[in-house]
Amino acid sequence: MAAEAVAVSIRKVGKRFGNVAALDDVSLDIRRGEFFSLLGPSGCGKTTLLRSIGGFEAPTEGDILIEGRSVLHLAPYERPTNMIFQHLALFPHLGVRENVGFGLRMKGADRAASARRVEEALRLVRLEDYGERRVDQLSGGQRQRVAMARALVNDPAVLLLDEPLGALDLQLRLQMQEELRRLQRQLGATFVFVTHDQGEAMAMSDRIAVMNAGRLQQVGTPAEIYERPANRFVATFVGHANMIEARLTGRAAEGLAEAEGPAGLRLRGIAPPHGATDGGVLAVLRYEKLRILPHGADGEGIGATVVEKTYMGSSLRFACRTGAGATMTADTPNAMPQRDIGEGDMVRLAWSPEDVVLLTD
Amino acid sequence: MPRPFPGVRPIGKPFWLMLPGVAWLLVFGLAPVAFMVAVSFWRSSIFGTTPDFVFDSYARIIEEPLYLDLIVKTLRMAALTTLLSLLVSYPLAWFLATRRGAWKAVWLVAVFVPFWISYVVRTFVWLPILGRNGLINQSLMALGITDAPVEWLLYNEGAVYVGLVYVYTLFMTLPIYLALGRIDPKLLEAAADLGARPWQTFRHVVLPLSWPGVLSGCIMVFLLAVSAYVTPRLLGGTSGIMLGNMIASQFLSNNNWAMGAALSVTLVGIVGALLLVTGRWIGIAEVFTGGKK
Ligand SMILES: Nc1ncnc2c1ncn2[C@@H]1O[C@H](COP(=O)(O)OP(=O)(O)OP(=O)(O)O)[C@@H](O)[C@H]1O
Ligand SMILES: [Mg+2]
Repeated sequence: MAAEAVAVSIRKVGKRFGNVAALDDVSLDIRRGEFFSLLGPSGCGKTTLLRSIGGFEAPTEGDILIEGRSVLHLAPYERPTNMIFQHLALFPHLGVRENVGFGLRMKGADRAASARRVEEALRLVRLEDYGERRVDQLSGGQRQRVAMARALVNDPAVLLLDEPLGALDLQLRLQMQEELRRLQRQLGATFVFVTHDQGEAMAMSDRIAVMNAGRLQQVGTPAEIYERPANRFVATFVGHANMIEARLTGRAAEGLAEAEGPAGLRLRGIAPPHGATDGGVLAVLRYEKLRILPHGADGEGIGATVVEKTYMGSSLRFACRTGAGATMTADTPNAMPQRDIGEGDMVRLAWSPEDVVLLTD
Repeated sequence: MPRPFPGVRPIGKPFWLMLPGVAWLLVFGLAPVAFMVAVSFWRSSIFGTTPDFVFDSYARIIEEPLYLDLIVKTLRMAALTTLLSLLVSYPLAWFLATRRGAWKAVWLVAVFVPFWISYVVRTFVWLPILGRNGLINQSLMALGITDAPVEWLLYNEGAVYVGLVYVYTLFMTLPIYLALGRIDPKLLEAAADLGARPWQTFRHVVLPLSWPGVLSGCIMVFLLAVSAYVTPRLLGGTSGIMLGNMIASQFLSNNNWAMGAALSVTLVGIVGALLLVTGRWIGIAEVFTGGKK
């Protein structure tokens, strides 16, 4: 990666609050023009990392560079970043237009020019007719967009978003996700987006950093995170997967390896790096990658019995017990032929080795 | 009309529940005022005051510069007291509002406990401080800054300001402190994030949001100061006298109730008019509703 393509560089950053390590040795590079998400459970340090970039927390270790320059010594008002706060923090004593124009006014920008830019920003978030309103006269989604306009009008090098959609209902949330994505593409700006919602992160991001307990777990594209989870945490936090404790029995061609699970279950999957294990591995197989076939289909896969069938609208979930006694779960579209399979039915379970990831941790 | 408690449906119209409040207002609020207005039209002579309906007292207030001058001086002193209180109170309220943890309680107690003591006592304490042989003069002489006691510390207008600001400052500090406490700290971060330097954040976010507190504090202190009696009496000497002292002496020593009442009514009238005018100007409703429109 060329150095000038990096918008934000986090280098070995640590942050302690008393005994709590909110961030522990976090290093990552966020590229210019990228929609980058920080994903992780509550309390994992997402907000702390974002606030460190914005200048609201001082890391206890490490360095943060924006556009190649260390910003640790800069106050928030000196940094080329703008933040959209979790609870928006719109100024209640100012109207929509004054809220949006606040940043330009503080920088003493030319009045006529800022008025034009404010109108432009309002148009960008489709609020051109709301400039005169007070902020408490707006709906949740509209307030959201005012916050967006208020940040974007300053043309920040990096826009920081702390779960800005958290308070919205599902419909509005999906709508605003699209809106955000549209804005980011249109402006080509760098967005750093905090969320604990994996679906949101998947749908919106160019790349995702998964965090847990202050530590970085994995950085990658949504597909990399989902298809090739780096460890047990990522595999469980993102999506649903069968997790089977197994022992490595041998390596095969094309980066695959053989493993043996409980009750003699034989698994072939993507091999862990050489020397990373003394033999114990975790086989990860996504629910929807496990195919469930009616009994009597040609000899593919292993025999099993359906223990539980769960109706989930667009999909169906089958919990099955294999002949040897292992439990495996499969998600299928709510369609033929799986729709007619019921609890207690004999089925066959099949999967491709490329869909099984063997993890050492 | 918006209901005061949205979501709570009124059950019929229990007007009789308001009776105690209304009765209180009539007996202790309106009746004395009405009586005072009535008395102000009574006739006074060297033998005392007799019920009547004459404009003698008001005529004298308008004709004799003594009264008008004192009214103007009293308004000026109340205004300056208000301003000085604001200058003292705002930083103090800011200091209190920005403390965190256990120390906050300590500071609050330190600031507010003295106000449990009667304001008469708190006015008296200035005598041994500002007096001829008081703390300040003793210190000045001990340090060799002056040879003789400084005489102008007490019994003049300046001493009255010291006393009034000290005694009434809490009425300014408290509403400002509360208003500052209601400001979401995230707004300050948002301002900084948008490029506002600390003083800009203060000027464009903190000050406007604490404005209702400032206004109610100013009104309180002004009302208290304009009717001050004890402080100018104890600390003001002859030059520091205020209208309250004049009114009291009409009742107590001159035995001219009509004049005392007329002066009171005039003061109430002027202050009321001032409140109305400033109310129009700055939206007084905000002060009493906490800034919600
Ligand atoms: N000011 C603070 N003082 C003490 N501890 C703090 C402070 N801020 C955060 N923490 C702690 O640091 C850890 C990380 O907090 P952070 O707010 O970054 O989590 P988060 O990932 O944003 O969580 P959420 O999804 O709930 O917002 C938590 O254990 C939290 O309790
Ligand atoms: Mg958070």
